Amino acid sequence: MGISSFGYLIKEGVKNVWSNRIMSIASICVLMSCLILTGSAILLSMNVAQVVESVGDSNETTVYLNDDVSGVEAAYIGKDLQKLDNIASVEFYSKEEAFKEYEDVLGDEIFANLQGNDNPLPDAYHISMVDLSEYEQTVSEIMNINGVNSVSNRSDVAKQLTNISNLVSTLSFWIVLALTVISLFIISNTIRMTMYSRRFEISIMKSVGATNAFVRIPFIVEGMMIGLISSIISSVGLYFLYNLLMKIITDIIPFAAIPINNVIVYVSISFVIAGIVVGAIGAFISVRKYLKKEGNEILGW
Amino acid sequence: MIEFVNVCKDYPTGTHALSNVTLSIDKGEFVFIVGASGAGKSTFLKLIMHEESATSGEIVINGKKLSNMKRRQIPYLRRHMGIVFQDFRLIDKMTVFDNVAFAMRAIGAKPATVKKRVPYILELVGLSKKAKSRPSELSGGEQQRVSLARALVNNPEIIIADEPTGNIDPEMSYEIIELLSEINRQGTTILVVTHEHDLVRHFHKRVIEIDKGRIVGDTAKSDEDFDENQLLLKHGDLLIDNTMI
Repeated sequence: MGISSFGYLIKEGVKNVWSNRIMSIASICVLMSCLILTGSAILLSMNVAQVVESVGDSNETTVYLNDDVSGVEAAYIGKDLQKLDNIASVEFYSKEEAFKEYEDVLGDEIFANLQGNDNPLPDAYHISMVDLSEYEQTVSEIMNINGVNSVSNRSDVAKQLTNISNLVSTLSFWIVLALTVISLFIISNTIRMTMYSRRFEISIMKSVGATNAFVRIPFIVEGMMIGLISSIISSVGLYFLYNLLMKIITDIIPFAAIPINNVIVYVSISFVIAGIVVGAIGAFISVRKYLKKEGNEILGW
Repeated sequence: MIEFVNVCKDYPTGTHALSNVTLSIDKGEFVFIVGASGAGKSTFLKLIMHEESATSGEIVINGKKLSNMKRRQIPYLRRHMGIVFQDFRLIDKMTVFDNVAFAMRAIGAKPATVKKRVPYILELVGLSKKAKSRPSELSGGEQQRVSLARALVNNPEIIIADEPTGNIDPEMSYEIIELLSEINRQGTTILVVTHEHDLVRHFHKRVIEIDKGRIVGDTAKSDEDFDENQLLLKHGDLLIDNTMI
């Protein structure tokens, strides 16, 4: 196939998008919705993973000491904690530090009369464990140390978030899969409509000896064009939609959302590739069925 | 050029479209194929174009056995043929020029070749002045000439015309067959399927008659070549005047 023929076929494919514009617009809209939903599902999954990771990283267990524990006793408790097998790190967290933290968050006035000896907060140790699966056993060992009042932790939250993260990932996977199938179906139907409206051309092409590749290329190009246009619009749409949604969500639940600028290039590239591939495959499916027909069958007679 | 040897064609529906057809059409011949509706004429053409495959027997076109032909080789076989349809099958959103050019572009002709060849063919069929018209602006006869121009433009060795005069008035019908005769005189093999007895009678060409899937008459052969029950051309439901034989 010469370059001029190839150019002609590409031009025909692009013309198809325009001449069949109502169906093209309809499939672009559907494909766009699919891509934006897919992108949203992936970004949601990434955000949940990030939150889980950050919670996991700060998976500290706080060991609160009794009120009457002196500074020296507290230091010994720290050494006892370090001796335990499953302890990765031990960091002293004094009642003054805790007081200051609360004061920073809640303001000076509330704590005006609670300074110095009136500080009601206990001294504590922030510890992290090597293996969270041995959590229960380690906690009971800690509780056996004299002067330890209680142990609090966020491991349950982390576990729950991990479960949520897995659930979101699994859901995202199925959503992406379902939307891909829907997109394929939509594009393949659009191309089938184009082929139907161009059945005379196809029957004439076949009767004069056009090869199947020659008949096929404009329709594949049409599918790819629909995919490309949808992916570009979807990338822009997702950019604004994500920023808007994250602003609303982080106003309600403060968390460090993944900035869209960090990922938009990858998202756009993925969209373009996905759009073009789904467009081409969708078109190929329809064309393949149609090309098996001969003569009047093509015209539906 | 075209050879059928004991060709049978049965459709999955159980219809026996052609039974034991044996014939030979030489290069440069002009042949009318006649027969009633459902006789098997369309199947005969479909087998030549390889739109259908024979159930048994052998079809040879230009020395190539169709039974051995791979699917991807079929387009190249069709490039030796030009098809003229009863309903013209012109694309109305294209001009006359583009309708003819379309057949060239479909097989990958270069733009410069298209630009040179199409006006020549349109002149040949007497439609030079209508190059920019849309098919719907033309008369039936003119539309059929566009269809003929499209069939001719790739310089085929065989023109297959399926009821080319079915949708046009009698005067135009003679013109179309005259045009085909002219093309035939330049060496192109012509197969014309028709119902119109007057046309067949007027142009003294070879006539093959098909009835119920069998060749029941062929003016290129003597009557003895047909069995008694099949001699419709001479004794049966006379589709063609006896003087033709």
